[in-house]
Amino acid sequence: MKILEAQNLHKTYELGKVTVRALAGVNFSVSAGEFVAIMGPSGSGKSTLLHLLGGLDQPSGGVVILSGQQLSGLSDKQVTLMRRRNIGFVFQFFNLLPTLTAEENILLPVIIDGQDPRKYEGFLVRLLDLIGLTDRRHHRPDQLSGGEQQRVALARALINQPAILLADEPTGNLDSKTSKAMMELLRRSCTELGQTIVMVTHDPRAAAYADRVVFIKDGQINQEIQFSSEDDLPKRYRQIVEIMEHLELSE
Amino acid sequence: MRLIRLLLLRSFRLRPARVLLSMFGITLGVAGMLSISVTNQSALDAVQRLLVNTSGSARLSIIPAVSGGESLPEQMVSAVSRVAGVQQAVPVLKVTTSLASQSAPEQVGLSFFGANAGGMIIHGVDAAAELRAREYRVTSGRFLSSSPEANEIVLVENFAEDNDLKVGQRIGILTPYGVERVLLVGLIAKEGAGLTNNGAFGVAPLRTVQRMFDRAGEVDQIDVLVEESYTSTAQLNLLARNVQQRLGTRASVVSPASQGRRTTEMLNNYQIGLNFLSGVALFVGAYLIYNAFAMTVVERTREFGMLRTVGMTKAQITAQMLLEALVLGLAGSFLGLALGILLSRGLSQLMSGLLNIDLVRMPIPVSAVLTSLVLGIGVTLLGAMLPARQAGNVSPIEALRIRGKSREGWLLVNGWKPGVVLLASSVAILLWNPFAYDPMFRLGSLTVFLLFLGVTLILPAGITPWERMMQPVVKLLYGSSGTLGSRNIERSRLRSTITVGALLVGVAMILVVRGMTESFVSDLRLWMEAYLGGDIYVNSAVPLRSTVGSQLRAIPGVAMAAPVRYLPVQWKTASSDVQETTLMAVDPVSYTQVTGFVFSEGQTNPAEAVQRLAQGDAVFLSSVLSEKYGLKPGDTIYMRTRSGWHPFSIAAVVVDFYNNGQMITGSWADMRRYFRVNDANTFLVRVQPGEDAAEVEKRIDRQLGKRYRLILELNDSLRKRAFSLLDQAFIMFDVLAVISIVVASLGVVNTLTMSVIERRREIGMLRAIGLTRNQVARMVLAEAGIMGLLGGVFGIVLGILLTRLFLFGMAAMSGYKLAFVMAPEGLIFSLVIALVVSQLAALLPALQAARTPILEAIQFE
Repeated sequence: MKILEAQNLHKTYELGKVTVRALAGVNFSVSAGEFVAIMGPSGSGKSTLLHLLGGLDQPSGGVVILSGQQLSGLSDKQVTLMRRRNIGFVFQFFNLLPTLTAEENILLPVIIDGQDPRKYEGFLVRLLDLIGLTDRRHHRPDQLSGGEQQRVALARALINQPAILLADEPTGNLDSKTSKAMMELLRRSCTELGQTIVMVTHDPRAAAYADRVVFIKDGQINQEIQFSSEDDLPKRYRQIVEIMEHLELSE
Repeated sequence: MRLIRLLLLRSFRLRPARVLLSMFGITLGVAGMLSISVTNQSALDAVQRLLVNTSGSARLSIIPAVSGGESLPEQMVSAVSRVAGVQQAVPVLKVTTSLASQSAPEQVGLSFFGANAGGMIIHGVDAAAELRAREYRVTSGRFLSSSPEANEIVLVENFAEDNDLKVGQRIGILTPYGVERVLLVGLIAKEGAGLTNNGAFGVAPLRTVQRMFDRAGEVDQIDVLVEESYTSTAQLNLLARNVQQRLGTRASVVSPASQGRRTTEMLNNYQIGLNFLSGVALFVGAYLIYNAFAMTVVERTREFGMLRTVGMTKAQITAQMLLEALVLGLAGSFLGLALGILLSRGLSQLMSGLLNIDLVRMPIPVSAVLTSLVLGIGVTLLGAMLPARQAGNVSPIEALRIRGKSREGWLLVNGWKPGVVLLASSVAILLWNPFAYDPMFRLGSLTVFLLFLGVTLILPAGITPWERMMQPVVKLLYGSSGTLGSRNIERSRLRSTITVGALLVGVAMILVVRGMTESFVSDLRLWMEAYLGGDIYVNSAVPLRSTVGSQLRAIPGVAMAAPVRYLPVQWKTASSDVQETTLMAVDPVSYTQVTGFVFSEGQTNPAEAVQRLAQGDAVFLSSVLSEKYGLKPGDTIYMRTRSGWHPFSIAAVVVDFYNNGQMITGSWADMRRYFRVNDANTFLVRVQPGEDAAEVEKRIDRQLGKRYRLILELNDSLRKRAFSLLDQAFIMFDVLAVISIVVASLGVVNTLTMSVIERRREIGMLRAIGLTRNQVARMVLAEAGIMGLLGGVFGIVLGILLTRLFLFGMAAMSGYKLAFVMAPEGLIFSLVIALVVSQLAALLPALQAARTPILEAIQFE
């Protein structure tokens, strides 16, 4: 079942007198429970695609359909509510609120939605256990390491079990060890919680955790790889690097 | 220089709104200071000039020892001139009268000094001697001839013009014996002696005036011109003693300057109040400066980090910020000077209305300009000091770090401890109340300072518990996103403290002004109801014989007419020096039928007190005199009567604001017996129940109006005018309180804008995960709301303490002891003001936050 679909997506920016085409007719879909990585060289349009999929930006042409609902044409408030209830975000910079504890940061989407956070206690405990921060739930962000902060951000994105989780370079600000832990967590959320994930990254090691990798170049989808469950990480990694090198060399 | 051009001027150009905002507080503070000091100075000068002009070059004056109808024998003039050192003795006979052609004014004249009937003053003088003593500039015709019996008069030009009188005309002057005609021979300018009685003034030969008013052989005052060799005060004092010895006890030798003391004292009291408030406005201005500069530091952290990276030293950066402050302070202060000069023009008009004196436009004194400038610039630098140091301390790495909770210094963490001690000690001083009569109010000012400092130090510690406590309220008012906003005030406690502090000062100022006004006005109104009691106020420019009372009572509709007479007297206690004050004589029986006395709290039976007064040899003392000299009912005071010092027992202490509160009330019978005066200034008339006061007023006017030149006014309208005069006097205080709150609201705008800028990425993230624009705005409003509440509540506490302090201060400085009155509505009003101001101030930042573009914000570093 398709959870997210992009049809003929176009996005152009006006930079002074120059028109930049960031996306030029992208067709793309994600099925429920799938973990998709989007890769591409700098300026290829991968972040733009993610922003359009998340309703953070409006396309110049084409449509985005999330859980059967078309995002373009909705009012700002409608899109915001759509994001609140159906989309989870993980950013490169963890973007936690410094005044809230880890637990409160995780419950933020619930609080924003005006729901009673106590109703989420069970799932919160499970998430804290998943990210391994049960004993640090009352710490504030400035008392947590970068990796821990990013794990809190992940739990925040998962708390209201969104239809889709969008991650923008989630390991971009982490060292290799914490990056690995983070990617394992994302993989487990997909496998254990059945969470659908779309992740933008330029790190082949991170992309290797996905079920499918989509390569973008010059605003269009250039290639795709579908991994089988038997493929181990080193094999996936080699495949990805090969395609990336090819894409970059062909520029 | 290049650095200044590159960094400073460009930073100004980039942030013009901020520059204006920062300057605003300083401009207002400086303008307030300057205009108040200039206006008061010109009012004081006007009073002094009036005295100097009207007393001319006389260094000593001789007046009757017992005032009220008493005069000096004319022979005394030659006796005085024979004293060694006296160059010339200049006699003056003063009469209050009216032009026959001049219709009685429709309203009673009102000023800070009470009611007056208008009319004109004529001085009977010896023309030759007079010209040596005082300046007269003849603008038309001539001055008086040397003939002492010439039937002629000289009037002030403006007064003659107002009454359509021309030189060469014979004009009618009203005397107790009918209209007398004299020839108008000349006009003088309204300057020098021409300023007497605000220009409603004329001079005529001594004998002529004596004849017209049946006062042959009498003078009221002898001015003494002293030989030029008498320059020192010691010589003058010696001369005064010699003259006094020669004249005996019948006359008093005084210095002309002592006569303006009343006005000077009153102006000083008023100025202390206004100065304090403009000081507070400047203080709030310093808050604003701090806020604006702290904001600049937040905004430019990256810039400072980068500058440090490329080699700028800490000192250079701090100096750069201080230089910005200096430029702003200078510009703000100069603008303030300009505004202050404009303001002082308006204030002068207000003041001249209150004092009933023409204020001449004064050159602005250099000292006032310098003081205002130094204060303006000093306060700016002081306000910018901390942010400038913060800017210097930005490390190159800090510029790249994500900002969370800012580091907190010792004062923020532990400041509440000394704060509690300061607050407790200032409250203790208040309860102990050691403010004995002290015109400088030194300990009181120290307490004010302790209070401010104490509250400011406690605030940071109060922020977190307050935020926790108010969370349910915030959630109720602003929804779930509100809690996110309220948490933010903990993020930079220093900044929140400063903003709350500014709001607190504004709220406290409103309360103080309201509290003082309410306490003062409630007492004043009570007294004024009595002072202007009855239904009709009957006044005249000429003294009203007591037979007028029975004539008034005979008019249909009049229930009672009570005479009132004001008499300058000298008095003392067993131990104190001789003082001058005013005796108000009333007939206790008729007076209490028309109106009543306002007894101070804790009195014995009022009926008994009135009876005691009626029995004689007793007085009521005003609360101000009682406070000032520690006198209470049962004590004895002495008044100088025609037969020497006579004891009077104090039957009661009454509230009285006439003559700056320095009043003695006595009985009519005592006044007749001891001062031999039997005429009234005023009658208070009560009409019979069911009678229309306006109708009775018309009847009185028809029957007696013309004969006695009566000025009649319904007390309702008189009271209304008196209260509006009162409101005018208090309006300045209101204006200053409003300025404080406006400046405080600018502080809120600053803090929130800063908070929104700092949290741009956070807001972007919140928007991304589903916070609507509306919720973002509510989040910012909640942050402001909680600061408003905190400022409001603390402001109320501080306001109540300050009001009490000022009431003590007023008792200590002027002797007015007022009951503390603060209506609960006032408290609620202040809280509402704090909330409304905080919400209005938050609107723009909230809008700015709501409009945060998500993509730009989440990529913002």
